[in-house]
Amino acid sequence: MTARPEHLPERLALLADMQAATYITEGLLTGREDVPSIALNKATEELPVDDARFRLRPVRDLIDDVMHKFRDDERPPTAADAWLAPRLHATLRLTRREAADARLWSYLALGVAPDYVVRRHLPATPRKDGGAPSVARARFRGVHYTQAFARLWWTAELFRNGPDYAPVVVACGNQDMLNTALRMDVVDHRPTALALVRLIERGVIRTGREANALASAVNASAATLMYDVVAQDSERDAEPLRDWIAAAEGASPVSRNALPEGPQEERAPENSVVVLTDYFEGLYADAPVRGRELASDPPAG
Amino acid sequence: MRAYPYARPSGPVTLRVTAVRLNGPDEAREDLDTKGYSVVEQVVALGRAERPDWETARLKLSATVPAREIETKGHWSDLTVVAVLTEKATNARTVARLEPEGSDKREWTGTVTLARPDHLDRATLSVHVVATVDGVPGRIIASSERDWMVDVTADVPLRDRQLDVVTVSFARAAEWLRPFRDAPWMVDTSGRMPTVRLNTDFEGLTALVQGAGTKVESLVGEMLLSQLCTDVWTAVFHTAIGDLEIEDDGTPLLPPDWRGEVLREMLPDVVPGRSVEDALREVHARRTGDGTWAELQPRIHYAATRRAEVPKALGETVRGIERLDQEATA
Repeated sequence: MTARPEHLPERLALLADMQAATYITEGLLTGREDVPSIALNKATEELPVDDARFRLRPVRDLIDDVMHKFRDDERPPTAADAWLAPRLHATLRLTRREAADARLWSYLALGVAPDYVVRRHLPATPRKDGGAPSVARARFRGVHYTQAFARLWWTAELFRNGPDYAPVVVACGNQDMLNTALRMDVVDHRPTALALVRLIERGVIRTGREANALASAVNASAATLMYDVVAQDSERDAEPLRDWIAAAEGASPVSRNALPEGPQEERAPENSVVVLTDYFEGLYADAPVRGRELASDPPAG
Repeated sequence: MRAYPYARPSGPVTLRVTAVRLNGPDEAREDLDTKGYSVVEQVVALGRAERPDWETARLKLSATVPAREIETKGHWSDLTVVAVLTEKATNARTVARLEPEGSDKREWTGTVTLARPDHLDRATLSVHVVATVDGVPGRIIASSERDWMVDVTADVPLRDRQLDVVTVSFARAAEWLRPFRDAPWMVDTSGRMPTVRLNTDFEGLTALVQGAGTKVESLVGEMLLSQLCTDVWTAVFHTAIGDLEIEDDGTPLLPPDWRGEVLREMLPDVVPGRSVEDALREVHARRTGDGTWAELQPRIHYAATRRAEVPKALGETVRGIERLDQEATA
C-alpha cells in the first residue's frame, strides 16, 4: 500500500496540473507505489502568501489521526469524511478564492497525503476490464466535487451554518448527497444546502437513491422558483472570515473529539431553512425514486 | 425555448452597471474609472482599480423590466427584482434586491457587492424578475437575456479573453520546459487559462511576433502569429475534449471554465449543423471508442485555422510580398 511521503517540507505548496499528471502513475492508483516526494517537491510552486495557515504539519497530523482512528476498517468509511471535512476546513482557514486553486488540492493529495487518498478511495472490486482495483485519477487531481480533499473542504464550506459544522457531519453521512449536491449550483444558496441536510436529519432521506432523487427534484424546481427570494439568506459579511484567518497564527490544533468552530459568520435565518425544508419535503414526496417500493434499500456507503 | 407551467411576460429585461465603487481597508474608497466597464461588452474590469488592496466592489445597477405588460396582463403580483452575482469556480452566490424608481416601475436600481475573497476570476451577473403566479410565490417570470461579466483581474472590459503570452528561456526555465528547448513556442493548457510560452532562446522571435520591425518582418510576424494561434486552438480543443466530466448515463458535460467556452466556439465547425450538446456527445463518442477519431482530425484542424484566421493572414502576406516586389522593381 502507498506509504506516507518520506519528505514532508515545512510548508504547503502548489502543484500545477502538468506536474501533478506526471506523478499520478498506474502504480500509485493501484496503491503499489509511493510518490517520489523529494522530486515532487522540486516541481512545486510557492504559495503567494506566507502565513501560519500554510504549515504542512497540522494538516499531516490530521491525516495521521484519521488513518489511526479508522485503522481497523478495511478502508476509511464515510465516517472518516465526516470527521475530516470540518477539521480540514478549520485547520486550513482558506478564503474561497484560495480554495478555488486546484493546485493546492493536487499538492495535498500527492505531496502531503497520497497514502490517505489511496486508502480512502481504492475500490474493493477489480476494474471492469479485470485489472487491479484502482483509484480514480480525479481523486488526486480534479474538479472540486471529486478531488479527495477539495470535496471535503467544499462540503464543509457549503454545508456549514456560520461557525457550526454540525450540518457538514450530517451531509457527509450520505455520500450520494455529497456527490450529487456538491456539483449543483443550488447548494451555493445556504438555506437550500441546510434544508437538504434537515431532510436527512428528519429521516425523510435515508438512502443514496433517495438523496439523488431529492437533489434532482430540488435542482429542477430551481429553474422556475427563486429560492433566494422565498427563503432569504442573511447578508454575507467578510469581516468574521478575515478575523478567523488572522487568528490562525495563534490558534491551537483543532480538537480531535469536539467539533471545531468555523468563522463567526451569521447563521442562515432559521425561518428560511424551515420554509425550504417543508417545500423540499413536498417536492420529494412527488419525486420518482429508483426502487422506492423496496422499503429496505440499504444506506449508501 | 423551454416551457413554463405558468404565464411569463414576453418583453425583455435588461441590466446595466452604472457605477463601480471599490472599498479598501480603513474606509478607503475609489470610484472605478468609466473605462473600467463597458455597456457594449457588458463587462466590468476590476483589474483597472488603482488601489491593489481593494476588498469589496460595489456595483450600482439599473434594470428595466416590461412593466406595462406586467401591469396590463395582470397575471403577476408581489413583483421583486433581484440581481444575482455568481462564480462557478468559487461557488459564490450573492443576491441583491433592486428597488423601483418612479411610479411606472419600469426601472429598478440597487447595488450588489462583490467580496474579493469570494472570487477568483470572472463572476456572472444577471437579473431576474420574481413574482407570485397562480398563488405560487417566488416564480421566476423573466431574466436578463445577456449576463454581465465581472472580471476580477482584467484591466480592459472585454468579453473575449486575451491569450496569456509569456516569454521565457526554455533552456533555463522550469524543469519541464527544458526538453523542449528546440521548440520556438509551447502551448500550456493545464492551468486556469491557456498560456503561450515563447522561447527567448530563439533570438528575434519575440520581436517578430510582436510585429515590431521592417515591413518584411511584420509580414512574417503576422504569419507566425496565425500559425501560433492555430497551435493554440488545436491544443485547447484537445485539452477541453480530453478532460470531460461524464454523467452516470454517459452524457458528457460542458466544462464550466474556458474549456467550455472553447468547445461552444469550436464544436459548430467540428460537427456542423448540430446543437452544441449533440456535437459534444458525438465528438466524445468518437474519441473514446468507435474508431472514427482520426477522421475528425481534419475538422478540428479546420476549426482551429478558421479561429486563427490563417486564410486571412496568408492572403495578406501574399499581397504584401507582391507589393514589396513592386516597390523593389519600381
